[in-house]
Amino acid sequence: MMTTAMLLLTVSCVFLWWHKAQWVWLPVMAALVLGLIIFVNDVDFSTNLGIQL
Amino acid sequence: MREGFLSPELERVLNLLGMLGIVGVILGSYVYQFSYRELPCTLCLLQRVAMIGVAVGAAMNVMIGPDTRHYGVCLVSSVFGIAIAFRQSLLHMNPFFDKKTGQPTLEATSNPPFGQEVFGLNLYIWSVIIFTVVFLAIGLVQLIRDPSSWPAREPAWLSRLASLGVGLLAIVIASQAVLVFMECGFGDCPNDGGWNWWIFRSSTGS
Repeated sequence: MMTTAMLLLTVSCVFLWWHKAQWVWLPVMAALVLGLIIFVNDVDFSTNLGIQL
Repeated sequence: MREGFLSPELERVLNLLGMLGIVGVILGSYVYQFSYRELPCTLCLLQRVAMIGVAVGAAMNVMIGPDTRHYGVCLVSSVFGIAIAFRQSLLHMNPFFDKKTGQPTLEATSNPPFGQEVFGLNLYIWSVIIFTVVFLAIGLVQLIRDPSSWPAREPAWLSRLASLGVGLLAIVIASQAVLVFMECGFGDCPNDGGWNWWIFRSSTGS
């Protein structure tokens, strides 16, 4: 998933550089959402924060 | 009526400098990664994602022109980055907490810092500082910018410089994507801080 996030960021920057595309914020936000999912999966809430989900 | 004293040209130059600063930070992290043979952990890579998000927002300001939507990309990315960096800092700030048992401990060596220090601070502490500075800088720019004075023709030197800078950013992000693929593949990334590349694990069959 981290690779996918980085690929999304690469696509957004290449299209910004090549076509000055206005929509490049979309893949950036998608990469951040993927990052959020990775983050939530990485945190062991029950042991590190004392929260049982 | 002028709303602020920061002209769009100056705004683009400042965004370009900020973007190049982030390119420098990412290249600096490569130096540490390869010289100390330490692969970045999941939280470290997430901070790079956030940092690249900030850089792409700044690049939008540089290439397309300053706009509140482009600053929005920077803001959302910097808030995400602060959350990740703060989480990692807190994990390593409390040495009397055993991550394995989830209990307090009297052993101060249970949760050592991750990675090397730069000027006396770990990279995740620097990350908190950088994202906070980005957040504050965007707020200050919103106060003093003058969006009404957008020029009909942009200076040619600025366009050339912008294209060069964003091209460099694209190369750095693409190299980061290749490195992340080599480290993690399409699965979870290793968190052991060693030289544990996925691509070499999978090629040796282990």
